[in-house]
Amino acid sequence: MKGINPLVVAGLAAIVAVVLPFIGSDYAISFSIQLLIFLVLAFSWNWIGGYAGYTHFGQVGFFGIGAYVGSLLSFHYGMPWYLAALVAAFAGAVVALPLGGAMLRLKGPFFAIGMFGLARVLEAFALGFDSITGGGTGIYLTPVSDLRPIYGAVAAVAFVMLLLTWKLDNSRLGLKLLAIREDESAAESLGIPTTRLKIGTFVASAIAPAAMGSIYAVYLGFIDPPTAFASNMELTTIAMVRIGKTYGNLMVDVQATSEKLKDRGRRIVGIVTGLDYDASDELLKRARWNVKTAIVMQKTGLSYAKAVARLKANENSAREAIGEDIEPRLRHLLKLDKTEKTERSDSPIDPGKLD
Amino acid sequence: MPVADLLVGGILLGGVYALMACGLNLIFGVMRVINFAHGDILAIAALSTVSIVVGLKLPFWVAVLVVPICSAAVGALIHLLILRRIEGAPLIMSLLATYALSTILVNVAILIWGGGYSGLPGVLSGSIRIFDINVSVSRLVSFACAIGVSLAVWWVLEYTRFGRAVRSVSAAPELASISGIAIERVRLATFALGTAMAGFAGVLVAPAFAIDPQLGSRFIIKAFAVIIVGGMGSYPGAILAALLLGVIEVVGSYFAGAVIGSAFLFLLMLAVLLVRPRGLLGAGVRV
Repeated sequence: MKGINPLVVAGLAAIVAVVLPFIGSDYAISFSIQLLIFLVLAFSWNWIGGYAGYTHFGQVGFFGIGAYVGSLLSFHYGMPWYLAALVAAFAGAVVALPLGGAMLRLKGPFFAIGMFGLARVLEAFALGFDSITGGGTGIYLTPVSDLRPIYGAVAAVAFVMLLLTWKLDNSRLGLKLLAIREDESAAESLGIPTTRLKIGTFVASAIAPAAMGSIYAVYLGFIDPPTAFASNMELTTIAMVRIGKTYGNLMVDVQATSEKLKDRGRRIVGIVTGLDYDASDELLKRARWNVKTAIVMQKTGLSYAKAVARLKANENSAREAIGEDIEPRLRHLLKLDKTEKTERSDSPIDPGKLD
Repeated sequence: MPVADLLVGGILLGGVYALMACGLNLIFGVMRVINFAHGDILAIAALSTVSIVVGLKLPFWVAVLVVPICSAAVGALIHLLILRRIEGAPLIMSLLATYALSTILVNVAILIWGGGYSGLPGVLSGSIRIFDINVSVSRLVSFACAIGVSLAVWWVLEYTRFGRAVRSVSAAPELASISGIAIERVRLATFALGTAMAGFAGVLVAPAFAIDPQLGSRFIIKAFAVIIVGGMGSYPGAILAALLLGVIEVVGSYFAGAVIGSAFLFLLMLAVLLVRPRGLLGAGVRV
């Protein structure tokens, strides 16, 4: 966002946040509590899902764990809500540590689905063990008469999260996490302790959601499994992070043309056009790393702009654009690719990633 | 309840999971999209079936014909309006888009049909005895149809020209496109086919289960469990795992109660993810 100094925006937001409990209506405070809870969830999710690139749909699991730990403590032992929230945060970290160790061995969609499944397992347990959790009936807590202390606590946590994220953004740790996101094995080979960092980030990103879950239960005065493990909450949180990202505030949206992909591109272009590795590299550079465009450029001798235009005119089919059938060679190639696949899992050509 | 009853019950349940998981698997294989809205298509198809049979008083076979076709049309629409625009984007985009779509569909379904349960008590009711085991007719029919359609689609994938195109796009989209396969059209057709399979599964679920708008979220996670246990992208793996998980769910529910019983599936899924992420028959999918 050009022209607006982010510090000014942050300063204004801070002033509004501080003044609000003194002048705001009950509704405004209540609304702000929800807003801030989401803010904290979004910041937490961003650490593991945004920086480290481990996108997942399981954060609500920690939120739910926190909600139940906090509610049970205040329901059975009359613990004040802020202490309950602290214990809940601790519980979140304790659960996250072994879970992170196990789940972070998964990648991409497997991690996303695994965490999603985990949240559903927890929800099923909350429903099933009704002697402890009250099952579908839920737990009713004594309603809080004054929301201002809760507002203060949530606002403070949000402020700390903002600060930590800002620190992370300007630190070596943040860069290391980004390196994990971009290419984990490369990061590992550069001496970054990826496993330890991933698990640490995972645990760190579970603490605040668990605390928020506990506070949310107090705020509502009620908790049941669908509320504690609401998948809508997950969606809202992640959407917040993603929308933030497209406007390019804290995070840099790195181009997906990593070296690994470039290498695959060079190989494919090399095989199809018969050029050697360096010539393919040169060609791909001119073709803005688009494999298809590069092939058309080589086969027709057109410039980049003209090749793109021709591809467009031929509905992106390279064969039509070139006017030559290169299918036999590709068939041969595909067969090669297949035999290679059975031998080792990482074949040089990853079709899924190329444009 | 004797063991044989549990086994048969589980296998019959697995049939519907198989049909659903195969559709999901097909879509994942070709588009690298994990369709979170798959279960909600099933739920809406099931609710539509109830509306057609109970509300419009049309015979059940009308729903069998109409609902899958409408589902395919909805699938094509979803592909054209949403998924085609985020092709090639990071995985998170399609996950998020279909997740959002799923939320929207659930809420639309609640707006239309309300939050309560409904069913088709009059269709395919009763039970028959086979080898001393009582088998509900609706479950038997839905099992037979689900497995039949799953196998038919498998046959199409293996032995027809269209199937070969689908498999090439799945294996190497770039090369398929260079070879002159219109990958956009293949993707569109695949997504429509996958959604039609979810729709058909919905029609089959309607007479056999109590259905409500939230049925989708309960089924989708089981379908995820199936494709992870069977191996992502593996068609026979999905069918096998579906039957296995059906049995585990029925046996687990019998001994530990329905809620904890379905949690067994997820625990198995997590175990497979950790021990053998590519699944029982999966070839391993790089991401």
